[in-house]
Amino acid sequence: MTEWWADVVAKFVAAFITKDRWKLYLNGLGLTMEIAFFAGIIGIILGIIIALCRLSRNRNGGKTFLSVIAGVYIDVIRGTPSVLQLLIMWFIIMKNSTNSVLVASLAFGINSGAYVAEIFRAGILAVDPGQTEAGRSVGLSKSQTMLYIVLPQAIKNALPPICNEFITLIKETAIVGYVGLSDLTRVANQITSRTYEAFMPLIGAAVIYFVVIKILTILLGILERRLRKSDNR
Amino acid sequence: MKKILALVLTGIMAASIVGCGAATETADAALSTAGAAASQAADVASSALEDAGVDTSAVGEKVGEVSSEAQSAITAALSSTALSDGTLTVGTNAAFPPFEYIGDDGNPDGFDIALINAIGEKLGVKVEVQDMEFDSLVTSIGNKIDVAIAGMTVTDERKQQVSFSDPYYEAVQYVIVPADSTIATADDLKGLKLGCQLGTTGNFIIDEIDGATEQTYDKAIDAVNDLINGKLDAVIIDKNPAEVFVSKYSDKLKAIDGKEFEFDTEDYAIAMPKDDTVLQLGVNAALELLRTDGTYDKLVEQYIANYSAD
Repeated sequence: MTEWWADVVAKFVAAFITKDRWKLYLNGLGLTMEIAFFAGIIGIILGIIIALCRLSRNRNGGKTFLSVIAGVYIDVIRGTPSVLQLLIMWFIIMKNSTNSVLVASLAFGINSGAYVAEIFRAGILAVDPGQTEAGRSVGLSKSQTMLYIVLPQAIKNALPPICNEFITLIKETAIVGYVGLSDLTRVANQITSRTYEAFMPLIGAAVIYFVVIKILTILLGILERRLRKSDNR
Repeated sequence: MKKILALVLTGIMAASIVGCGAATETADAALSTAGAAASQAADVASSALEDAGVDTSAVGEKVGEVSSEAQSAITAALSSTALSDGTLTVGTNAAFPPFEYIGDDGNPDGFDIALINAIGEKLGVKVEVQDMEFDSLVTSIGNKIDVAIAGMTVTDERKQQVSFSDPYYEAVQYVIVPADSTIATADDLKGLKLGCQLGTTGNFIIDEIDGATEQTYDKAIDAVNDLINGKLDAVIIDKNPAEVFVSKYSDKLKAIDGKEFEFDTEDYAIAMPKDDTVLQLGVNAALELLRTDGTYDKLVEQYIANYSAD
């Protein structure tokens, strides 16, 4: 029993303490969060724009050109693996860029944008059409109605799935190791390749992801409760 | 309907769990028997092979006698845990030309693969090659694979986890840089953005370079691509693959001998479960036979000297 324990401690020390390896995990987590943060922002902005494009209609109620473009974008992004999108962005589209965080954030942001767009579209469609009619009849323009009446309610509808999407995004960034970046998952692999011992680095990285995402879930839960205060009458 | 489906699924799961348990027990029993036999054979084999090794280097005429002693080491190796199923499961990372790459038929090919097949033939076992990530090879030995042949350098760190055969190839790390680069000495590499394949010797060298930013890739060619695209300043990789990559992009890249950077030369060897002496002796004996009968030189000629990138 003591021998077993000593072995566990030795493996833990080799995976986290020796040569200040814990710093590598922290750096890796930093990169993971950096990419997820910027990709999240790009995804939300892109998502709103795409959702509005997709919902746009011409005078006769038919699809506009923008709506078709948005539909194609969503189809293509959802129909291809994110690893391939990352590799295409890295090795083909932005092959001469040396700003690796920018390239990765763009790849994940464009990917996330398609999913966010669908979430927003659902959020907007969930707002009762009566709200739009009311806005239009008190003399607001189409865009004013959308901006001041529909969108605020749509965002509240969309918030829980958006949070979900962001959490997925954090975990999705684990594939940046494919293009040589040292995110948290890659750091775990790098340390395994030094110590030839997979247990501690992999479990350690999993625990770090879990803790970070759990904290985030709690914070987003608080935000959601605040937004819902107006629902109580 | 759903309930029936659930019941059926539960039944299948239960059955498979029981099935697994039984299979494992039988396998364990078989393994422990094989293990006992192997350890008995180990003593016999080790003395036989020590003689064999000494004899080959000292007296050339005794080849016939030597091979018979090597043969006994090989016979003993057949009782080792790894070979008890009649198959040698080999791990490799087929992204390291000319030692291993994916051949035209979609299966791993290259010098290492040809060599391990020849060894398997000498041992009289079937060889099964599995392609996997380089950095997971060492951790997979003894569970997913029996041995690994992947242009793997003998290092002290690796020796703590696995045993190695006699070296079968001597290599040195090369530095690939853009054709117009002025990098020439070890000092020039400090503080640069350097690429390598994860878990390779090049990776370990970069760890020791002051202020270098390291980017690790699963495939060496990805690092080379990023070098061509200007995302990296240099790539550190073994000599032969370096020459292959540079021959393919000779207008954009050049390779510099690692000796200019004071890198040590290193030995490639086959990695196998730690302390499986019988297997180790058997593989070494087979390797020795291949060297004496000329197969080894033929393979070097065929795969390394005449290799050209598509």
